[in-house]
Amino acid sequence: MENSDMTDQINILLVDDEDDFRRILSKRLTRRGFYIRQADRGENAIQMLEEESADIVILDIKMPGMDGIECLRRIKKMPGMTEVIMLTGHADIQGGVEGIKSGAFDYLSKPVELEHLIRKIKQAHHKMQRIQAEKEEAAFKERVTQQMVVAERLVALGTMASGVAHEINNPLAVIQDSAGWLQQILDKPQMQDMPRRDDFQKGLERIEKAVKRAGKITQQLLQAVKTQTTEMADPSSFVETDLHKLAQEAVTLVEPEASLRNISISLTSREPHPSAWTDPLQLLQVLLNLLSNSVQATDDGGQVFINLAATLEEAKIIVKDNGCGISKENLARIFEPFFTTKEADQGTGMGLYVSWGIITSLGGLIAVESEVSKGTTFTITLPVKK
Amino acid sequence: MFKTPSHILLVDDEKDFVEMLSLRLQENGEDVLAAYNGQECLDTLEKKTIDVIILDVKMPGMDGIETLKKVKKLHPLVEVIMLTGHGTIQAAVEGMKLGAFDFLLKPADFKELTEKLKRARERRKEHMERIQKAEAAMLLRQSKI
Repeated sequence: MENSDMTDQINILLVDDEDDFRRILSKRLTRRGFYIRQADRGENAIQMLEEESADIVILDIKMPGMDGIECLRRIKKMPGMTEVIMLTGHADIQGGVEGIKSGAFDYLSKPVELEHLIRKIKQAHHKMQRIQAEKEEAAFKERVTQQMVVAERLVALGTMASGVAHEINNPLAVIQDSAGWLQQILDKPQMQDMPRRDDFQKGLERIEKAVKRAGKITQQLLQAVKTQTTEMADPSSFVETDLHKLAQEAVTLVEPEASLRNISISLTSREPHPSAWTDPLQLLQVLLNLLSNSVQATDDGGQVFINLAATLEEAKIIVKDNGCGISKENLARIFEPFFTTKEADQGTGMGLYVSWGIITSLGGLIAVESEVSKGTTFTITLPVKK
Repeated sequence: MFKTPSHILLVDDEKDFVEMLSLRLQENGEDVLAAYNGQECLDTLEKKTIDVIILDVKMPGMDGIETLKKVKKLHPLVEVIMLTGHGTIQAAVEGMKLGAFDFLLKPADFKELTEKLKRARERRKEHMERIQKAEAAMLLRQSKI
């Protein structure tokens, strides 16, 4: 077998109405290790390609019904990157030229010389691979650019929000102390018989509660901004961290909430002791955040998974659930500060923003994939070495 | 319940904040004076007896740390509690290394503040008592000669 060039990975559709010619060529190409399907008419070829695409179509120009040129045009309109090699009659150069104009890779005149055809197939396949690689590279560049745009946006938002938080802290302190002062007065013995004292008491309690909530938000925000503006986390808090142990700790902390609603959390790891050189406390905070999000997003009886994997270069922590998922519009914004879909007093919209800040400062990456009503997957990638 | 009032000096550039916190502390029976910048704080210390200073880190002009350094140099026995925002905890740590008694994050919990004030005042009282004892011992020795 001569399939040292991985010819068996090239998927070919051979289209010709001359049965004998087609069968013999197909047999010879199969013997060389190609994966060959056959069609005797243009219409059938289109149908077969719709069912399963091909890398390369070898296409006779002259066929009854849909001819080769028409068939070629239809193939070129299909999604995918199928390359077409035209087969023309002995003196039909014009047909070949028209084929190339319509997007064929090249043409060969019948009678076909096998080695010549195989060379053309390989060339066409190389072209296809090159285009595919270019496309992947472009997509990769696009993704990186997008991530940078997102990161810049988050940093800008964070800077602005922290400025606001700083400024709000002072009036917040004034509100808190004003309410506190009234409360002190209200608690005096001579005030016990004041008219409508309970109403005053109620109002003061609400103010106090609201100020506490606002204070918590500014605190989280300033913490998040601090972790990302110092760019790198303090390396003195980095230690060799057993990720399995850490994840187990996170699971133990979230489990009570999960078991109330019959949600199982399973922890698996590919290596027995995956580890990373990182700040365990900060990482634990992120894991807790992701896990409790997952539990909240999952219906009763659902499942949450944590998978760990570590190589010499990087460690991956994957938190996955089969919960309600995140819509595409929301997915683009979930790392923004204050972005939340939870009820006003259920979430501040700071959790994922803080997590993003922490992972970035630990030199890692955090990514998300989600499908509505299927579930969500967060992937954290961390460097392993010092 | 009777208690001797602490003499507290509250230093912050935010006037509303100073006023409200003063009212609360006064309501608790403390004697509170206010200063709105570092220089006023130093001037007040020259004229009045102060037990504890509550000092904001972030002030225009002479900031909290500068003020603290001068206070500790001129009036080493006065206790200082630093008030900081979340972005300035570093300054609070520096302040404590320079001799501040403790620090509080703004907006400060009033209970926590009164607790820290109490302990600061106790420390100052004990310190003063030790000095008095030492002075008494010194006088005693001198009178024997």
